[in-house]
Amino acid sequence: MSQKSSQENIRNFSIIAHIDHGKSTLADRIIQECGAVSERKMSDQLLDTMDIEKERGITIKAQSVRLIYEKDGKEYILNLIDTPGHVDFSYEVSRSLASSEGALLVVDASQGVEAQTMANVYIAIENDLELIPVINKIDLPNADPDRVLTEIEETIGLDCTDHVLVSAKTGVGIKELLDKIVDRIPAPKGDENAPTKALIYDSWFDNYLGALALVRVFDGSIKKGQTIQIMGTKEEHQVLDLMYPHPINPQKTESINTGEIGIVVMGLKSVEGLKVGDTITDAKNPTPTPIPGFEPAKPFVFAGLYPIETDKFEDLRDALNKLKLNDAALTFEPESSLALGSGFRVGFLGMLHMEVVKERLEREFNLDLIATAPTVIYKVLKTDGEEIIVQNPSELPDPSKIDKIFEPYVKATILTPNEYVGNLMKLLNERRGIQVRMDYLNENRVLLEYDVPMNEIVMDFYDKLKSITRGYASFDYEPIGFREGDLVKLDIRVAGEVVDALSIIVPREKARQRGLAFVNQLKELIPRQLFEVAIQASIGNTIIARTNVRAMGKNVTAKCYGGDITRKRKLLEKQKAGKKRMKAIGKVQVPQEAFMAVLKIDR
Amino acid sequence: MHIYIHIPYCDSKCFYCAFNSYTNLHFTIPSYMKSLTKVITKALQKNKQKIATIFIGGGTPSVIKPQYYEEIFAFLKPFINNESEISIEANPNSATLPWLRAMRSLGVNRISFGVQSFSDEKLRYLNRAHKAKDAIKAIENAYKVGFNNISLDLLYDLAIDSKELLEQDLRLAFSLPITHISTYELTLEEGSRFFSMPKVKAQKEELNFFIKETIKSYGLKQYEVSNYGKICKHNLAYWEHKEYLGFGAGVVGFRKNYRYYSHKNIQNFINDPFFCEKEVLSKEDILLEKLFLGLRSIVGVEQKILPLNMQERANLLVKEKKLSFTNGKYFNEDYFLADELALFIMQN
Ligand SMILES: Nc1nc2c(ncn2[C@@H]2O[C@H](COP(=O)(O)OP(=O)(O)OP(=O)(O)O)[C@@H](O)[C@H]2O)c(=O)[nH]1
Ligand SMILES: C[S@@+](CC[C@H](N)C(=O)[O-])C[C@H]1O[C@@H](n2cnc3c(N)ncnc32)[C@H](O)[C@@H]1O
Ligand code: SF4
Ligand SMILES: [Mg+2]
Repeated sequence: MSQKSSQENIRNFSIIAHIDHGKSTLADRIIQECGAVSERKMSDQLLDTMDIEKERGITIKAQSVRLIYEKDGKEYILNLIDTPGHVDFSYEVSRSLASSEGALLVVDASQGVEAQTMANVYIAIENDLELIPVINKIDLPNADPDRVLTEIEETIGLDCTDHVLVSAKTGVGIKELLDKIVDRIPAPKGDENAPTKALIYDSWFDNYLGALALVRVFDGSIKKGQTIQIMGTKEEHQVLDLMYPHPINPQKTESINTGEIGIVVMGLKSVEGLKVGDTITDAKNPTPTPIPGFEPAKPFVFAGLYPIETDKFEDLRDALNKLKLNDAALTFEPESSLALGSGFRVGFLGMLHMEVVKERLEREFNLDLIATAPTVIYKVLKTDGEEIIVQNPSELPDPSKIDKIFEPYVKATILTPNEYVGNLMKLLNERRGIQVRMDYLNENRVLLEYDVPMNEIVMDFYDKLKSITRGYASFDYEPIGFREGDLVKLDIRVAGEVVDALSIIVPREKARQRGLAFVNQLKELIPRQLFEVAIQASIGNTIIARTNVRAMGKNVTAKCYGGDITRKRKLLEKQKAGKKRMKAIGKVQVPQEAFMAVLKIDR
Repeated sequence: MHIYIHIPYCDSKCFYCAFNSYTNLHFTIPSYMKSLTKVITKALQKNKQKIATIFIGGGTPSVIKPQYYEEIFAFLKPFINNESEISIEANPNSATLPWLRAMRSLGVNRISFGVQSFSDEKLRYLNRAHKAKDAIKAIENAYKVGFNNISLDLLYDLAIDSKELLEQDLRLAFSLPITHISTYELTLEEGSRFFSMPKVKAQKEELNFFIKETIKSYGLKQYEVSNYGKICKHNLAYWEHKEYLGFGAGVVGFRKNYRYYSHKNIQNFINDPFFCEKEVLSKEDILLEKLFLGLRSIVGVEQKILPLNMQERANLLVKEKKLSFTNGKYFNEDYFLADELALFIMQN
C-alpha cells in the first residue's frame, strides 16, 4: 500500500532537545497516535533500536519514521526524525535538520533550558526551520511550564506564544501537538518536474540488503529501476528497491516523490560510496546544482585500542571495518606500542562515543580490548620548521626538537543555577579555562562561556561538572582552534621500563602533581605480584614521582589432599583466565583498567 | 599402593567444615561399615602389590568402634609390612584410651589429632566437641599406648586470632610428644556455616609467616604449605601425583589418567558401594597438577615434563631466585607463593 502524496500534505520534522528531555518517548506517543505500530509490538523508546541504546536509555543514532495522520478528513504524511541529545552525537542533529522543514523543540518542564537545548536551537535557526516549543513532562510534580516558557523566550529569544504542553508519559497534549505540526510546519516546496535531487542524510549497512541510503528528495523523484548518480563520486547505480523508514516494518514503494523521505536499495557492498551529505540525481538528466552537504563529523578524542590477545589484531581490524559501515564518524589507523603490541589509534566524537564503540567491539565481535587513555590532537612545530600532528603522546618528539606545541581549545557553554557559579568558576580555573562571558539569563540561571583547552574537558569534565552542581548544570562545547601551550610529556615507568601506552601530555606547571596522583592511582590498580613493582613518573630522564607495589606474601590454599586436586586445578585455571585479561609487561601483569587510570586521578 | 578410607560421621559439625560428614546418621554405621568392608575386599581380591600407606580419615574415624576396623585389617594384613605407614585421624573427645590401644594393636602407627586450638574460647567459636584439656589428655594417652608418630592439626586466621594466641597454641602443642604438626589457614568453604560469614576470617597475612617461623624455631621442617615435621608418606603420595585407591562415601581415587568418585550420600553408598563416576584427565590437566602440587611441597617439578615456553618462565624464576634448580628439577622454598608461581609459569 503506497500512499500517493502531493507535497501539500507532507510534513518533515525533527525532534530536538537536551539529553533526556523525552524526545524518544514523545516519538513513541506520536507513533502510537498515528497507529503506525500495533499495541502488541509497541515498546518504550521504540526508535532506540540498538542494544546499547536500550540498555543505557539514550539515543545514539537519529532514526526516521514515516507516519500517516488524519486531520479534518485529510491524510497527512508525517516524516519524524528522532535525534540524540548527547553532545557527542550533535552532528546527527545537523543532518536530520537539513532534511526537515520544522522541528519540535522539546524542553523538560521540570528542568528548563539546558546547554544542548541552546546548541540544537541554533542549528535549527541556521537551517531556517519552523520551531514549535513543546514543554514535556508536565505530569511531574515539580513541572513549571510557565517558568520554562519564559526561560525559552528570554534565553533563546524564541516566541513561545504558540506552544504545546505535553506529557510523553501520559499522552496528554499529543493530539493537539499533531494538529499543530500539520498547521505550522510548512509543506515541502520542491520542483516536482525538475531533475532528481535528493540528499543522503544517513547511510548504513544491512546484512540482507547491503548498503542503504536514507534520503530526502528535494526535487523530482526516485523511481524503482531508475539509474541514479551519486554526485560526489559520479558513480551510477540502479535503484533495486525503495522503502519508507519504519522501526519494525519498513514499507516498500515504487517511488519516493518530491518532499518525501525514503530508503534507497542499490545492492551495494559497502557504504563507502554513500557519503552522508552527498546528492543523488538522475544519471541521464542530472541536476546542475548539488545540495551543499555537510562537513564530515570530525573526531576530537583519540585513544589506542589493543586486543589483549596479541593474535587478535586482524580480528580487531575486521571489526572496526564492519563498525565503520554504520558509524561514519569512526576513524582509525594501525599503530603499535612497545607495551601493548599492535593495535589501532581510533578517533572518537567524545568519551561517550568511545565507550559505545569499545563496548560494541567487545560485545558484537567478541573481543577483549585494552583502551589507552584518550587524548586530543596536538600540533607541534619542530625546531627544523616542520609541523607535525600528534595523536598519541608517545609520538611527541624529544623536547630539544620542539619549538612550540599547540593544543586544541573549545568554547564551553555552561548553564547553571546561580548557586553553583562559584564552584564552577573554580573548576574551570583549575582546568585552565578563560572566561569569555557570564550572563544572568534570569534571576537564578547563569550562562558561562569559557575558552578551555580541549584536553581539560573531554575526559572527565562532564562527571566533575555534574557532581559539583548536583546534576543541575549542563554543558556544551564546540572546537575553536589551536593555541600555544606550555606542555610536556609525562612518562610512566613500570619496573624501570617506560610503558609507552601510559604516557600523557600535561601542562608543565601541573606535571609533578599529576605524576604523583597517577603513580598512586596505578598502585591501587596493579595487584601485588611475585616481585616488588616500582612505579615512577618521569619527564625525560628525571623521575618526578615514585611509589611501589609490595611483593606478594602468600597465594596458595591451605589444604590440598587427594580429594581436592581436581577442584584446585579448576580454580587455578580460572585464576589463569583472570590473569589473561591482564597485560604482561615484562614480568609484570598490568590490568586493563590501569591504561585508563589517568582518567580517574583527581586533578 | 596407597589407600584412603573415609569415615563420614562426626559428633558435631564444626562451623568451618565442609567435609562429607554427618552428625545425625550414626545409626547407619553398622551397614556403612559392612559396605565399606565389602568394597575393600572386592577391590583387593586380586591384588598382589604391597600397601605402602593407608590413611583412615574423616569425618571422625574415632567414632567407629574398633571391632569394625578389625575385619578390614584382617583382610589387609597380608599386604602390609613393617614399612607400611598406617595413619588414622582422631578427635580428642572420642579417642578414648581403649580405642587408642585397640588401634595401636591393629597396627596403626601414625595418628593425627584434630586439635585446632588449645583455647577453649576459640574451640567454642568453632563448634568443636572437645575442650583443650581433652586434647592434651588424648595425645598423652596415644603416646602411652605406644604411638611414636603423632601429629596434630591447628586452624588459624580466625577473627579472634592474634600472634599471642597462636604462640600459646604452639607452645602447648610442642609441650606434647608430637613428631608432626599441620597448621591450616582457614578457608571459607562452600557448604560450611562460615561460608556466608566472611568476617570470621581475619585476613591477617602476617599470621602465616609468624606460624611458619615459630614452628621452625621448635625444630620442625616445613615440607608442604601446611605441614611440618616427620613427613606423612600418604599425603606426600598425593603431591607426587601417585595413584591411590579411595573407599567410602564421597571419596576420590586416582588411577592412570582418571579420577573416580563414589556416592557422597551415605545411604546411596550403602546401597551401591561399587558405584563410581569417572573423570578423565587430559595430558594438560596432569601437567598442571604436577606443577602446582610440586611447587607447594618438597616434591618439586621435573623440568622435562614442562613444555619449552613454561621452562623459559620457570628459568626466569630461577634467575630471580624465586625457584632453585637441581638434578633436573625445579624446587620452591616459599610454599606460600606456590599458586602464584604456578600461575606465573603457566602464563604464556
Ligand atoms: N514523568 C515523565 N517522564 C518522562 C516523560 N517523557 C520522558 N520521560 C522519561 O525521561 C527519560 C528520558 O526519556 P527519553 O525519551 O529517552 O529522552 P531522550 O530525550 O530521547 O534522551 P536522549 O535520546 O538520550 O537524548 C525516560 O526515563 C523517560 O521515561 C514525561 O512526559 N513524563
Ligand atoms: C579432614 S579434617 C578431619 C579431621 C578431624 N575430623 C578433626 O576435625 O578433628 C582435617 C583437618 O582439616 C582442617 N580443616 C577442615 N576444614 C577446614 C577449613 N575450612 N579451612 C582450613 N582447614 C580446615 C582441620 O584442621 C581438620 O583438623
Ligand atoms: S572438622 Fe573434623 S570433626 Fe569437625 S566437622 Fe569436619 S570432619 Fe567433623
Ligand atoms: Mg532519545
